[in-house]
Amino acid sequence: MCDITAVLSVDLLAQVLDWLHDSRDLKSCRLVSRAFLQAERMHRRAIRPLRLGPLPVLLRRYVGSLLSLDLSSCPSLDDSALSLSIPCPNNLRSVSLSRATGITWRGLEVLVSVCPKIEAIDISHCVGFGDREAAAVAKACWLKELRIDKCLKVTDVGLAKVAVGCSRLEKLGIKWCFEISDIGIDLLVKKCLELRELDISYLKVGNESLRSIASLPKLEDLALVGCEYIDDEGLYFLSNGNSSLQSIDVSRCLNVTSVGLTTLVEGQQRLRKINAGNCSPVLTSTFVSKLCTLGDTLIILKLDKLQISASALEIVGKNCRNLLEIGLSKCNGVTDEGISWLVEGCTHLSTIDLTCCLLVTDKSLFSIAACCRGVKCLRLESCVLISEKGLDQIATCCTDLKEIDLTDCNVNDNALKCLSRCSELLVLKIGLCSGVSDIGLSFIGSNCSKLLELDLYRCTAITDDGLAAISNGCKRMKKLNLCYCNQISDIGLAHLQLEELSDLELRGMVRITSSGITAMAMGCRGLTQLDLKRCYSVDDAGIWALAQYTENLRQLTISYCTVTGLGLCHILGSLRCLQDVKMVHLSWVSIEGFELALRASCGKLKKVKLLGKLQDVLSTELLQNLQARGCRIRWVNKPLVFKG
Amino acid sequence: MDQKQRSSFTYPPRTNSPQESFNPNFDYSQFNSQNRTESPSPYDTPSQFFNSQPREWDPHALLSNLSFLEQKIHQMQNIVREMIRTNEGQNCNISELTAQRQLLTTDLTSTIIQLISTAGSFLPTIRNSLLSGNAPITQLVSSIPSASSSLSPSTYQPNPSPDYEELTKGWGENGVEGADQIQIEDLDVKEGEDLGQDGDNLPIGSYEVLQLEKEEILAPHTHFCTICGKGFKRDANLRMHMRGHGDEYKSPAALAKPAREPGSQPMPVKRYSCPFVGCKRNKEHKNFQPLKTLLCVKNHYKRSHCEKSYTCSRCNTKKFSVIADLKTHEKHCGRDKWLCSCGTTFSRKDKLFGHVALFQGHTPALPSDEVKGKIEQINDKDDSGGVGYNNGDEYLDMKGGYFSPMANFDSFSFEGLDEFSRTTFDPTESSFSFLRSGSPDFARKDTGN
Repeated sequence: MCDITAVLSVDLLAQVLDWLHDSRDLKSCRLVSRAFLQAERMHRRAIRPLRLGPLPVLLRRYVGSLLSLDLSSCPSLDDSALSLSIPCPNNLRSVSLSRATGITWRGLEVLVSVCPKIEAIDISHCVGFGDREAAAVAKACWLKELRIDKCLKVTDVGLAKVAVGCSRLEKLGIKWCFEISDIGIDLLVKKCLELRELDISYLKVGNESLRSIASLPKLEDLALVGCEYIDDEGLYFLSNGNSSLQSIDVSRCLNVTSVGLTTLVEGQQRLRKINAGNCSPVLTSTFVSKLCTLGDTLIILKLDKLQISASALEIVGKNCRNLLEIGLSKCNGVTDEGISWLVEGCTHLSTIDLTCCLLVTDKSLFSIAACCRGVKCLRLESCVLISEKGLDQIATCCTDLKEIDLTDCNVNDNALKCLSRCSELLVLKIGLCSGVSDIGLSFIGSNCSKLLELDLYRCTAITDDGLAAISNGCKRMKKLNLCYCNQISDIGLAHLQLEELSDLELRGMVRITSSGITAMAMGCRGLTQLDLKRCYSVDDAGIWALAQYTENLRQLTISYCTVTGLGLCHILGSLRCLQDVKMVHLSWVSIEGFELALRASCGKLKKVKLLGKLQDVLSTELLQNLQARGCRIRWVNKPLVFKG
Repeated sequence: MDQKQRSSFTYPPRTNSPQESFNPNFDYSQFNSQNRTESPSPYDTPSQFFNSQPREWDPHALLSNLSFLEQKIHQMQNIVREMIRTNEGQNCNISELTAQRQLLTTDLTSTIIQLISTAGSFLPTIRNSLLSGNAPITQLVSSIPSASSSLSPSTYQPNPSPDYEELTKGWGENGVEGADQIQIEDLDVKEGEDLGQDGDNLPIGSYEVLQLEKEEILAPHTHFCTICGKGFKRDANLRMHMRGHGDEYKSPAALAKPAREPGSQPMPVKRYSCPFVGCKRNKEHKNFQPLKTLLCVKNHYKRSHCEKSYTCSRCNTKKFSVIADLKTHEKHCGRDKWLCSCGTTFSRKDKLFGHVALFQGHTPALPSDEVKGKIEQINDKDDSGGVGYNNGDEYLDMKGGYFSPMANFDSFSFEGLDEFSRTTFDPTESSFSFLRSGSPDFARKDTGN
């Protein structure tokens, strides 16, 4: 037996590993020998554990090389677990604790103190977090990147703590921190002069904040989505600020009009990305003409839900020749003429969003196929006038197409036959296309082997054979939506042997039973999200199979299933990654069943959806404990039915 | 009683003997209350005198008043001596001592007020006489230091108290400054012209600068009854009070606000100067900014040059010299208090944030920082686990409470954290053991519902 390390030294091996991107490949590499394991250990920079148990071992194994630690999908993580598992001398630069609702400020303080080199922290969506947690994070004085999106209790005081503590901050996300006001933003701007990216979306801040922000010397990326108190005056302040701004997102700012956007574009001539979707709907010609002064620098333009004339698109097409992405979703007035003028100029376009542009016909597709051969993503949802002719042209010319959305476009098997020529296709959405049958899917299955995502929502003509064709052809599928395809039975489901499938929606498939679920679970062990709502025939046996085979299951919807308390207890107790369970209308489960099941799952669950009536009958101690562990309970106001 | 007191003032030596009013064994509360009613009485004569004969000045009346004051001061000296004696002799009762102090305070205050009113009542006459180059100023000026020397601080050494210090300090300075002020006042018009150029909106010389002495400013009352001597803050209140003294004061003319005579020329605009030399509001200051009204003078003087003797009862930190300020503060003391890490408090968030923005390293303090810090310390002490940051104890407790009713269930759900332990479906695994132990119970519960 020759040791391979004699030929291939560990650092050379590590260089080979640089070329491996798939986690499965890395895993098989790890299992070759101790030397390979050693090489992989040295090579690994990032880790995303799914379970709490092996966490300390893993971290100790990788401590030397590890830079990034993502604990966002680690269930039942609490302060003591966190503080015990992170080894003390480490090189960690980035830690994600997104949705880690079991953590408190104590845990964060420990984290910050044991990771002296930490530069990025993500505690977004920890809805219970407030100023104390922000203060704990603020002790990391070398921090460059911080996300505290949706930490609902963070106020100006918490932001001030961060601003004073982390003055080197370059990227900050405070989306949905509703308590933050102009005063906090003003202080942030005065203290953190290095800020390059700032996301203050959905904050209740006004123009004064923009006046402060305009003074930031290095700001490049600013997101103001849904800031309803910001109007044109605020954009005027921004236009007078440092002209370092490269990206602005003012979508859903209802008070922003074309006038404000015009002044902004006048002042900020280095803008590369503009998102003005869902603003005040009238787009003036002055704005369009100003937009042209940006010329070649502009690469992304999103104008969703605005009124755009063909001439405006023509001007954009003639001037912004480097445009890579255009969003015209729900725009009134987008016609074939406008599209043809646009694509004539912008030949580099790779993403075109024409969702709900009801006037678009095959002619648009012809001109796109003719001009933008490099197009990668086409969104044509609800463009009802397109047909297989246009798609045929697209499939012929745009061979690089990776994503196409044809939801509600009434496409048929012929269109799928054309599209199947795009062998690079990764995402295909043909929901609500009742004309698609097994024949069409067989084309896709035989040609698009790289497909990652397929949406067959309410494609009611599909039967077991179609599903078989897909699951035999597209082995790399990650996401599959089969909701309301009610001709599919257990036989079809048994064909689903997709190792990489992580997201499966089987809502409303009334013909499937537990045996189908069992077969599916044995084939798709990597499942993390499963929707079984209204699969009335699925009972405890199916649930047991899930508990047995799909260990990584994180989100589960079993509303309306015929599950008993026993099955519920079992699945909630044994699935160690489970975080989000929707269990409404489980009329076979008694109150004791719910009680026991929730107790069994304690510490892991972060989100539960239950019938509102249970609020009164479940023990308060249980509910308090759940909430203390960071679990949010959504109560549905429907009557309680018990059939047991 | 009023009648008696009035007469007592006119002939002070005869009725106000030390034994009568300053009996050491006197009931203090009674004495105080009596003293309070008694104190205004000395105003009686000067104000009456001033009102009835505003243009003349009677040295005899002044002399009698001064001698009365002197006697009072002697009485006080006796009290203080008594206090020193009892203090040195034995460990005296503290309450007795404080009562004595209170007595002395009231007495001193009344003396001061009497002196002020005596001095203040003939100020216009001083000015008149000063302009005419008469002697009485020196008489007045010399009388004040003599009064203050009798109240020299050394007398009060055994019982130093801020009240006394303040009072004696005021009196001590008074002698010199009072003379200065009178001289300065002489130059009013000229200085006003010079200073009018600075800052004030009014054109040069369009206003007259007045400067009150600090005793006048600090006097609680400015209007006094000519009959009983009772003091009032407002003229209208005095007129209301006068109704009790006879029907002649009840006539509409007497009750009406004294209107300016229609024929008389308009009053010159008045501005006020603060008597504190070196203050910006003092007319000698280079950038003199005059005060507009008497109320401004009062508030300014109290706020800037007096001790802040009113302490907020809620926070016990903020002090004020104007009681209205205290009341304003007390209205929102303790509510929405914004605290900086340096310990400074602010009533408004934007003020705190302005402060934080200005000073490097300051941060807003979290509302309950101190409390939580203490709890944390206690927890740390209690923690015997010793593995870094260990508060697992409480969690374990919680878990125990959680699962105690079904221990087998606990073991089922938390067993086998190893990654590879549960890849195959094995009926001998804990899941089945759970089923066996739990199922009968369960089934019963299910059907029972």
